[in-house]
Amino acid sequence: MAPVLDLKALNTGFFTAAGEIPALRDVSFSLGRGEILGLVGESGSGKSLTGFSITRLIAAPGRVTGGEVLLHGQDLLRLGPEAMRRVRGAKVAMIFQDPMMTLNPVLRIGTQIRDALLAHERLGRAEVRARAIAALDQVGIPSPEARLKAYPHQLSGGMRQRVAIAIALLHAPDLVIADEPTTALDVTIQGQILALVQRLCRERGTALIWISHDLSVVAGLADRIAVMYAGRIVEIGAVDDLLDDPAHPYTQGLIASVPTPGRRQARLAQIPGRMPALTDLPPGCAFAPRCPRAQAACEAMPAMTPAGEGRMARCLYPLTGGAA
Amino acid sequence: MTGEVILRAQGLTRHFGGEGDLVARGLMRLGLAKPRPVVRAVEEVSFDLHRGEVLGVVGESGCGKSTLGRMVAGLLPPSAGRLDLPGGVATGRGAGAAGQGGGAGTANGTGPTDADTQDRGAALPMQMIFQDPYASLNPRKRVRDLIGEAPRVHRIAKPGEIGTYVQDMMERCGIDPGYRDRFAHEFSGGQRQRIGIARALAVTPEILVCDEAVSALDVSIQAQILNLFMDLRDEFGLTYLFISHDLAVIEHIADRVLVMYLGRVVESGPTEALFSDPAHPYTRSLIEGVPRLDRRRKVFAPIEGDIPSPLDPPSGCAFHPRCPLAVARCVSEPPALRDMGQGRLAACHLAGAPSQTDATDTEGETAWPATPTG
Ligand SMILES: Nc1ncnc2c1ncn2[C@@H]1O[C@H](COP(=O)(O)OP(=O)(O)OP(=O)(O)O)[C@@H](O)[C@H]1O
Ligand SMILES: Nc1ncnc2c1ncn2[C@@H]1O[C@H](COP(=O)(O)OP(=O)(O)OP(=O)(O)O)[C@@H](O)[C@H]1O
Ligand code: SF4
Ligand code: SF4
Ligand SMILES: [Mg+2]
Ligand SMILES: [Mg+2]
Repeated sequence: MAPVLDLKALNTGFFTAAGEIPALRDVSFSLGRGEILGLVGESGSGKSLTGFSITRLIAAPGRVTGGEVLLHGQDLLRLGPEAMRRVRGAKVAMIFQDPMMTLNPVLRIGTQIRDALLAHERLGRAEVRARAIAALDQVGIPSPEARLKAYPHQLSGGMRQRVAIAIALLHAPDLVIADEPTTALDVTIQGQILALVQRLCRERGTALIWISHDLSVVAGLADRIAVMYAGRIVEIGAVDDLLDDPAHPYTQGLIASVPTPGRRQARLAQIPGRMPALTDLPPGCAFAPRCPRAQAACEAMPAMTPAGEGRMARCLYPLTGGAA
Repeated sequence: MTGEVILRAQGLTRHFGGEGDLVARGLMRLGLAKPRPVVRAVEEVSFDLHRGEVLGVVGESGCGKSTLGRMVAGLLPPSAGRLDLPGGVATGRGAGAAGQGGGAGTANGTGPTDADTQDRGAALPMQMIFQDPYASLNPRKRVRDLIGEAPRVHRIAKPGEIGTYVQDMMERCGIDPGYRDRFAHEFSGGQRQRIGIARALAVTPEILVCDEAVSALDVSIQAQILNLFMDLRDEFGLTYLFISHDLAVIEHIADRVLVMYLGRVVESGPTEALFSDPAHPYTRSLIEGVPRLDRRRKVFAPIEGDIPSPLDPPSGCAFHPRCPLAVARCVSEPPALRDMGQGRLAACHLAGAPSQTDATDTEGETAWPATPTG
């Protein structure tokens, strides 16, 4: 089956007086109908930028400089502004860490849902109202009719995020990009949102990119995981394969540094040092300064290479599934 | 291993609002202001802290963790209850040194005060480490002053030896002493947290109150800091009150755990027992809901409902609107915190002794989880 999204060798840069900052390089993956991809990596690795590049929401001085973003085979990078506006919201939607990126603080919830509906569909008043109530109802907002009159500040953080999700799903998009939507929420509310998004995407076959710095959240939610480091994907594969048998030394380091039940008070594995700044990248593998397996050859940039069934890793000396 | 009791909290309580300060009361009397509602942030929390142990505090946002921590650190006076330091630890001005720029925190720190410790060359017994190492470090000060100022003022190190003292602290906390002349903003989040820790340790505290001290850090950096805390405990026999909303972190580092809900302790006990066999339905839901690396493609069955407002707490057991096991009695009667044996306490009408819990488990297998999703 043709993928919903096929991202090919995406490059994004920020253009400053000092030259181009290579924020994304060679980012490629594809996503099938109903599939959930977890996009993980530490702060500054390029997770959000990947989402913004797909939806073409990068502001100057940033710019996508190369690659293709194929949605059902159509390259979004070649669409004009009006065509792109029609795609955004209707076919591709984003959910952000801060629901106020979606919501307008001075408008009632009902008004915002109406505006979002009418941006892409022609509907009568009664239809708008019915759709709005149904949308709030399906994200588990109690007494949705009364809530139409509420302003965002009258809702709890978890409720606001539910409303943002309801708006994102209004037009049954083919692809949802969720950028850490539970990071600012409590564990219990996070669980509610995860359950909700998981159920809605599974029911409707929506493809989902779930961005998170938390490997544990992604383990519970995703079918596949892509790990980013310094603007590149360094490993991608099925959840079980990647977590049980990581190929890239960085993936292995990340997994080992997560506190795990049953190893109470044992020393956690720590990756020495930190991710280099994008303005100060080593010439080859960006992980080399921290990598226990690094050798002289790592001074040249490794390509993404197959590392087992359905898996790719950007490493010359992978821990598993190499050339053999 | 843990030793004698060095801090005892009895019925610690903190309310906010209500009467308000002098100005607010004046305005109210003139009819210019309405009385503010009372927030019962912390209600009657009691515990012993043993030397060398890590006591974890978990619970949802707003349940009173930080308020409790600030009272224990001496940064906030309790509305009621008491804090004792039976081990003869000098009581001091609390965590001012590690607090925001050294001043703001101490202003209202009228907790267990012992005036003459300020002038003696004494250790400050309690220090607090905050979530955001950036906000708690003065950006206009160099690292050597951030770390060295308090030990100099409190004459913990001799004036001529401050330099080496600071370098030693930096090394212990994994910061290159070569960076001592830099400013805090020149460091990454993890390094800033190390500076905050070095700064707290420089006054040789016995107790560290860590409030979400690793919550803002990336997991690989978080691992470095958690390891550092464990090393410092071994090296200095430090005692920790370790506050976090992250159950995985608490399970990893704590010897004992307090679970809070809406200002009250609802369960406490040794970490392993509490995590493997939680006595309180709230603890149980928290533990079952927490994402874990080994929980793959899980069907999430979360605790339903929002966190209730501390301005308007539910009647009876505060957890009853969200509790899958609630019975009529839970709506009217608040459960007492009862002894479950083996160092465990739980505040639930249905919680039995751990052995009885096993029995109910086998009988009522289907009773849990009682709230499927959707
Ligand atoms: N306007 C800008 N100018 C220069 N660099 C920028 C700009 N905006 C973002 N970047 C850089 O792009 C990189 C990727 O940022 P991005 O927000 O995608 O990271 P992230 O993985 O989402 O991190 P986080 O977990 O912190 O959200 C960062 O290193 C950042 O410094
Ligand atoms: N100075 C204050 N004035 C009024 N209310 C306060 C004050 N400080 C805290 N509160 C209230 O007391 C309650 C407990 O707050 P606290 O910060 O202790 O919770 P917490 O468990 O640390 O939450 P979080 O996980 O969000 O940090 C909250 O309802 C909070 O709004
Ligand atoms: S390419 Fe070399 S430096 Fe990079 S991750 Fe692999 S072994 Fe380590
Ligand atoms: S007392 Fe009742 S409502 Fe409260 S936790 Fe126990 S069973 Fe649930
Ligand atoms: Mg981001
Ligand atoms: Mg707090």
